Amino acid sequence: MAVNYTRKVMEHMSSPRNVGKIDDADGVGTVGNPVCLVAGTEIAANPEEKGIDSVLAGEKVLAHDGKYHPVIEGMSRDFDGATVVIKNRFGETALTPEHEVLAIRVPKTHKFLYARNKKTLNPEWVPAGELAKGDIALYARPLETEDVAELAVDTRPKKHDFKSKKTPGKIRVDADFLRLCGYYLSEGNLRDKTTKAYVGFTFNLKETGYADDVARIVSKKFGVEARIKRIPKRTTLVVEVNNVFIVRLFKALFGKGAASKSLPTAFMKLPAEKQRGLLAGLWRGDGFINYKIPRAGYSTISKKLAAQLKFLLLRQGIIPSVYVEAEKTIGGVRHRRAYRIHVGNRDSVSKLAEIVYGERITTAKPESNDAWCDEKFAYVPITGISTRKYAGTVHNLLVEDAHSYLTTSLTVHNCGDVMSLYIKVRDDRIEDIKFLTYGCGAAIATSSMITELARGKTIDEALKISRGDVAGELGGLPPIKMHCSNLAADALHAAIQDYLKKRK
Amino acid sequence: MRRIYLDNAATTPVDPRVLKAMVPYFSEKFGNPSSLHAEGGEAKEAIEKARAIVAGALGSAADEVIFTAGGTEADNLAIKGAAWANKKKGNHLVTSVFEHAAVLNTFKYLEKNGFMVTYVPVDREGIVKLDALEKAVTKETTLVSIMHANNEIGTVQPLKEIAEIAKKRGAAFHTDAVQSFGKIKTDVNELGADLLSVSAHKIYGPKGVGALFARKGIALEPLLHGGEQERGLRSGTENVAGIVGLGEATALCLKEMKREAARETRLRDKLIKGVLETRDSWLNGHAAKRLPNNANFSFSYVEGESLILYLDMKGIAGSTGSACSSHKLEPSHVLSAIGLSPEEAHGSLRLTLGRWTTETDIDTALEAIPIEVEKLRKMSPMAGMSASERERLSKQPHEHGNAC
Repeated sequence: MAVNYTRKVMEHMSSPRNVGKIDDADGVGTVGNPVCLVAGTEIAANPEEKGIDSVLAGEKVLAHDGKYHPVIEGMSRDFDGATVVIKNRFGETALTPEHEVLAIRVPKTHKFLYARNKKTLNPEWVPAGELAKGDIALYARPLETEDVAELAVDTRPKKHDFKSKKTPGKIRVDADFLRLCGYYLSEGNLRDKTTKAYVGFTFNLKETGYADDVARIVSKKFGVEARIKRIPKRTTLVVEVNNVFIVRLFKALFGKGAASKSLPTAFMKLPAEKQRGLLAGLWRGDGFINYKIPRAGYSTISKKLAAQLKFLLLRQGIIPSVYVEAEKTIGGVRHRRAYRIHVGNRDSVSKLAEIVYGERITTAKPESNDAWCDEKFAYVPITGISTRKYAGTVHNLLVEDAHSYLTTSLTVHNCGDVMSLYIKVRDDRIEDIKFLTYGCGAAIATSSMITELARGKTIDEALKISRGDVAGELGGLPPIKMHCSNLAADALHAAIQDYLKKRK
Repeated sequence: MRRIYLDNAATTPVDPRVLKAMVPYFSEKFGNPSSLHAEGGEAKEAIEKARAIVAGALGSAADEVIFTAGGTEADNLAIKGAAWANKKKGNHLVTSVFEHAAVLNTFKYLEKNGFMVTYVPVDREGIVKLDALEKAVTKETTLVSIMHANNEIGTVQPLKEIAEIAKKRGAAFHTDAVQSFGKIKTDVNELGADLLSVSAHKIYGPKGVGALFARKGIALEPLLHGGEQERGLRSGTENVAGIVGLGEATALCLKEMKREAARETRLRDKLIKGVLETRDSWLNGHAAKRLPNNANFSFSYVEGESLILYLDMKGIAGSTGSACSSHKLEPSHVLSAIGLSPEEAHGSLRLTLGRWTTETDIDTALEAIPIEVEKLRKMSPMAGMSASERERLSKQPHEHGNAC
């Protein structure tokens, strides 16, 4: 064995003191290997992305295996120092330098200029601080599918509503219906006032084909006739559907107002084949495909929808880029902050064109590709790395089974060593103290030692126990194991801080 | 307390019969094999006898065996030697991601010196992916090196198929057979190997001696220059006593192989069956295509180093792929390569049986392991899940991304 422990360490390790949990503890301190993400980092949770600080235990998050796993526990601590900011085409993530990211380290020699050679390298969990520009980040493609054959439509009329035309009570979820949903998400608006219920789809005057498509689907699926109104003054073409039940359905599914539109979880999990219809509707509405360059783009002011669209595209093997466009005023018109999805990769544009217009683009010359997909991951290059000072809380999640989760742009690992200290305080004295730990021999020994050191001490005395004290008391630790000693002291301090906060 | 040594893949004790054969060559028959006098002749005769035994075990000609100072040197000589000797032909080399450090780091060194190396991935069961290998080997490739049996998870690789892929493109094929030699059949013609490394201390011989089989016609560049011993490929006065030890150890293994393999397989299967009764535990590597003496487990919520130390106190010696027990803080590259997450790799336990492992040893180990695992789990905050969650977890197949 490469490490040699002192007799005292072995003694504490073989018969650790104060193991366990205090259920009614006055203070709890949980520390991991100090690996965390800054507050507010967006996590791919189910169904939408949300801040890491608001993810609750039991909630499901997307992990590196493309499946949703429940969060066992969320952890946080105070941090003051430099964080690493990693940028790629999906966005940026700020994290502490030790936090592990799923990535490929690409040697910086000329022979790895080509994706063909990069593909021969193996992905590994790399601490964020060791990554460099040009390395490849792996981003899991969501793989969980659950088909929905039919949707129930609430067709109970309101009181005194005698004239609304009944729609079928069940709608089959097929390509037509999903395309209609796509149109709605891009171009739709609704009004749910009694007697004025209305769903509208606004197209450009030239887009008669799409307007007809909408009217045809509405008539076929719901048995309701839609009206197509030309408004040349505004160069728009509006498809109007006046039916309270359809309004109700769309509002429940996708929300109201362009900024808060999003897809329900069930739609995100539909088989990839079905989601093609959804993408077709979405892209025909707010997107474009330029065949010449070739390039495709989509713009929305709904942050949720942008994130969801990213996953919809990834499921099709299309690698998008996501940009945020700041709020601006052009010619007196206020444009709200927008999220732009770009597809520039030729193979991806071709796949998208097939979905949206049913035709593939044939490109004359092959391109030098810097991003690629396999069945499980999208491989995208890291385009920038910088450090940023950060003072505040940093967070981490403990994810069941998969031990990883996705941020907007990276696949990151959850905690390494975990140590929890529980304290019971009476008259300003630590009356009882217990620990739980997952770690090596040194982690067990240091946890056990610190409980011995802190028991019976006043809060002030306990706060003075330093990182070095634990190792010193154990007769020293091998250098590679010193972080365990730090962990134990940090856990004690965290428990005391927790106690002081609760007392206030 | 009787110590139970279940770390025979790390090293083995020298068999008393081997030691007895070696002893005369320290002071009684001390000659230098290169000398022309009677003392020299005696030593020369001894190493040639050992060479014939090793060659017999490999099914090769005697002069195709080169003695070295261990498995690491044999690997280095084969890989660097072949790479440099064929540099004009091409500079592309192929190996797998889960080789022993002696091979992996040699390739890393060559990479720094202008060679291009492709590392072929392995599947979840610890077998090299042949389709990936097929793609990796090109006309530019001069050497393919894939181990015969993995040192951590014991999986035996389909060398015949691998050799065919290498041959098709005209590349030499090296295999590190340090773990398999003497335990299972290692006939170089059956396996299709051009170069094959063996070590004495894994087969009840002394440390510091090994051998490389180098097929006639395979160009090698020597690492050591000097008195041109061993066909000029390994200069330096031969470690006569060590070589005699290797020869004797090989002869014993060969004689007892069939019976010993059957015995160890039976004990290993008993061990695997017993350990897997512990909840949240599983076997790493292929269930059948593995060395007769190797078992490798992972336990959820348990850190490998702690488990080794706890078992050590109970008189049981095992080993782990956990990073905490090594110089680095990274978990085993082998377990990561077969798709284990860092937690799972950290919670691994390798038990390797040997010539003197008895049924009682296995019974004692089977009694101790669940107790020590439970002890550590009681301390672990991760194990604090409800019973129903645990049950669900234990039923779930462990499926993970190919990358983590």
